[in-house]
Amino acid sequence: MTMAIQEDLEFPCSLTIDLPLPTARLASAAMQALRVDKELSPLVRRSFSTISPTSHSSEETVLRTEYKATTNRMLRVAVNGFMESLGVVLGVMEELDVDVLGSDAEI
Amino acid sequence: MAEAKVTMNDVNCICYTKGPGMGAPLQSVAIAARMMSLLWKKELVGVNHCVGHIEMGREITGADNPIVLYVSGGNTQVVAYAEQRYRIFGEALDIAVGNCLDRFARTLEISNDPAPGYNIEQLAKKGKVLLDLPYAVKGMDCSFSGILASIDLLAAELKANPEQRDPLTGDVITTADLCFSLQETVYAMLVEITERAMAHVGSNQVLIVGGVGSNLRLQEMMGLMAKDRGGNVFATDERFCIDNGIMIAHAGLLAFETGFRTALNDSTCTQRFRTDEVFVQWRD
Repeated sequence: MTMAIQEDLEFPCSLTIDLPLPTARLASAAMQALRVDKELSPLVRRSFSTISPTSHSSEETVLRTEYKATTNRMLRVAVNGFMESLGVVLGVMEELDVDVLGSDAEI
Repeated sequence: MAEAKVTMNDVNCICYTKGPGMGAPLQSVAIAARMMSLLWKKELVGVNHCVGHIEMGREITGADNPIVLYVSGGNTQVVAYAEQRYRIFGEALDIAVGNCLDRFARTLEISNDPAPGYNIEQLAKKGKVLLDLPYAVKGMDCSFSGILASIDLLAAELKANPEQRDPLTGDVITTADLCFSLQETVYAMLVEITERAMAHVGSNQVLIVGGVGSNLRLQEMMGLMAKDRGGNVFATDERFCIDNGIMIAHAGLLAFETGFRTALNDSTCTQRFRTDEVFVQWRD
């Protein structure tokens, strides 16, 4: 408990981004792809998880990204960069997924 | 894929550029590659950009074991293969030769269409006065930032005084002469360090890869040197000289076929990735 409070004092500016996706497969893929790259700045902390959209459903179709930074400026810079990466992830899902290209058929 | 009539089932692996290069574009591609790997359930292969150029050059030209001159906007290296590594024999110590040429094109406000280097080449053909520029070969390496500073200074002087004449010949100096002088100087430097590597290794063949390799004057100068040594120059056209995706796929496939894989959590990218860091298992 104390550790969490200390961290928050060091990184007071935070933002949580929940991205709802159609399936758990997509949410899991997005998380695995995005978490490989380390956060560039030591002034920013980031963590990923997948969660269910409501307490009723068991499918974890939401990608939750939690950002914490020392200043609002650092937070803004990090999140802006993240949005670009998210754009790439969504683009691949939308245009290059197995069902879009057709695994058996030619495109 | 549609043009080649291949489907996802025909794809063996996803190859991507691990480095070297600029961080943001590298990361974008790595993310896309990882997504495809996860969604298509195909394995990843991280590829070194310089090795991509080398393997594409070898494949297209059929050159067996040449000294490789890799020259582009971002890289300038003289490379020779020995014992499963592409060893760097010499390189630019500061900026790449293509960077020098491109920035000078910006100084002269030359068009970027189709490429600044191409337009410098065309302008240089009309030049005939060889101006005095520093010649910065340092052993096996070379340096271009001082030459760029010098030629920028000459360009500024010319702009201030368009009637300037060459003290030796009395000819009026033009921007074409500046381009000519720059090319002759930097290319002579590249020929020298390439020749030094050839003498060291005992090779008489040169393969030129990278965007600057499409320059015909460089190919000509290199050819004269290689011929003197009883050898020849291999060069590709701009489809394969300039950065392209297929060179990454090709080099990646060569590695894949030896069993090389890049695990998802290792599929990072890096701005600094030395050519000799790659274990070239696919060659003897």
